[in-house]
Amino acid sequence: MKNGFRQSMAWLHTWSGLVVGWVLFAVFVTGTASYYRSDISLWMRPELRQEAAFSPEDLARAAEFGVAHLQKHAGNARTWFITLPSADNPVLDLFWRTKPGTPPSQAALDPRTGEVSGLRETKGGDFLYRFHFELHMPPIWGRWIVGICAMIMLVALVSGIVIHRRIFADFFTFRRDKSAQRGWLDAHNVTGVLGLPFHLMITYTGVVTLALMYMPWGVTTAYKGDNQAFFAESGQITAPRPPAGRPGTLAPIGPMVREAIATVPEPLERLSILNPKDAAATVVAVFEEPHGLSHEHPQVAFDGVTGAVVEVRQGGLKPAAKTFTTMVGLHEAHFAGPALRVLFFLCGLMGCAMVATGLVLWSVSRMPKAGEPAFFGLRLVQALNVGTVVGLPAAVAVYLLANRLLPVGIADRSGWEIRAFFGAWIIMALAALLRPHRRAWTEGAIAVAALFVAAATADALTIGEARFLGFDTALLVLAALFAYAARKVSTYAPPQRERRSRQDSPALAAASRQPAQAFRTQKVLNEA
Amino acid sequence: MTPIVLLLTIGLSYVGLAALCLGMNRHHSAIFEARPDPRRALLLRSAGWIAIGLSFASAVHFEGWAFGPVQWIGGLTAAALLVVGILSYRPGLILPTAALVLPVALAAAISI
Repeated sequence: MKNGFRQSMAWLHTWSGLVVGWVLFAVFVTGTASYYRSDISLWMRPELRQEAAFSPEDLARAAEFGVAHLQKHAGNARTWFITLPSADNPVLDLFWRTKPGTPPSQAALDPRTGEVSGLRETKGGDFLYRFHFELHMPPIWGRWIVGICAMIMLVALVSGIVIHRRIFADFFTFRRDKSAQRGWLDAHNVTGVLGLPFHLMITYTGVVTLALMYMPWGVTTAYKGDNQAFFAESGQITAPRPPAGRPGTLAPIGPMVREAIATVPEPLERLSILNPKDAAATVVAVFEEPHGLSHEHPQVAFDGVTGAVVEVRQGGLKPAAKTFTTMVGLHEAHFAGPALRVLFFLCGLMGCAMVATGLVLWSVSRMPKAGEPAFFGLRLVQALNVGTVVGLPAAVAVYLLANRLLPVGIADRSGWEIRAFFGAWIIMALAALLRPHRRAWTEGAIAVAALFVAAATADALTIGEARFLGFDTALLVLAALFAYAARKVSTYAPPQRERRSRQDSPALAAASRQPAQAFRTQKVLNEA
Repeated sequence: MTPIVLLLTIGLSYVGLAALCLGMNRHHSAIFEARPDPRRALLLRSAGWIAIGLSFASAVHFEGWAFGPVQWIGGLTAAALLVVGILSYRPGLILPTAALVLPVALAAAISI
């Protein structure tokens, strides 16, 4: 530590932030979008219309349809999942998993007739949600990468607090009329400091949600690595029932659904059917969370062959488990109504902005002097910055656009939507490499704005329903933001370097009184 | 009920943060063309902390100890973002907006 503690921390902050910045930006953007996961899914399945509420009798019948379909098409599967319909989402979604590690198969049925519904095939908001913590990679890989990036993010957050000497003095300060570097540093500080409670909470609880995977040793020692046994004993799930190895016949599901609904006051959300063809088949009815910060779904487990209740799980967690489920609840914010959700979304956007401004700041503070060529590392970072910061929003816009433009009946439609997402991202990133840096920003931002307008327009032309007006307006607002950014970049002129006369304005005079202090943080960053 | 409580939280936070920001030399000078004298600065800062304290108290009072602090932090963040935005782009509007927001917040408090 020859340079002292703060300089070391500045170095740590700069490089830890840079190395994981691009992944973090993607995680923040898709995570922020996931606050509206169900709205995105509804928009992407426009054939679904709000219906009258489903009575317990309707739900029991829908579950019977689901099991009949699964018996026929998923006889070999080890696990069946049935998401039951609700007034807002009146569809019976079926998933089944045949072998561990393979992607699940799925089907969507009409809950009133049991016929395969005519919905367009799409992963909807679930794709963005899973990308948020799996990056569309094999789950183990994606979760490890996101987890390591999140841990490094915690390092960057704490070292960022340490090196920011003027947290309170500069709390409200955003100087746009000084050097480019000053403006970016202020923007990075404002988005980082104002959103700090959220940033710390979301990063820490994000790591906590998968803590058992990152730190398995406690469960390895006490439960011989059996996570399910740990979850069951800590009261988070019903006790697992190993398969008997003898064939069995599943009892009718309808009576189980009726009994479950009579047991728990919350709305019934889904059914998990484990080892459906085994003598020890288990049916678990999972309910929505009761109102509260904690993420805990009430559950009722049935013996699948006799139809008798085996276990009812409803509240009653011990403090440690409750702490865990509360952290998961805070991360997911399922408890947030529309107004609070807007604030979570806003904080998520501030997180995206903090990461993006930090990445840009790294390159702005290393700009070569006029006439000198940019060194390779700078060019690389600049291209990756454009490729990520405008590339990912463009990919999201194309994902939505593809949902409206791809023909409804084509094979592997949801796969093509995802290919469109990655195709757009790759094209944007390559374009960023080929164009001069400033041009790449302007053109990229214009492309994003155009794509969001295109997605809203495609919706108006192909579906054109009033209930999507809010969603389309949100897309247009995003487009306007990117168009504004493009205009800012293209019209930006570096401020005059020479010192202005003090008579210009009292504000400038006041600000110029303390230049030495004001530039100290910047100096620390430069030295790093 | 939550949206109105949030309005109250954001309103009180906004007034408090605006007062705190006006109590700082740099921002006071930018708006009033002079540094605040010590008494004025103290007054603004105490008013700011009191309003922020009230926003926390009201959030906890109306939403309880579980949701209150969560909503308060969300509201405080939104209000701080508003203050910074207005201060950077239209500094002259800080005082009028704060004067406008205060009765709105009080009306929200009464209507709950």
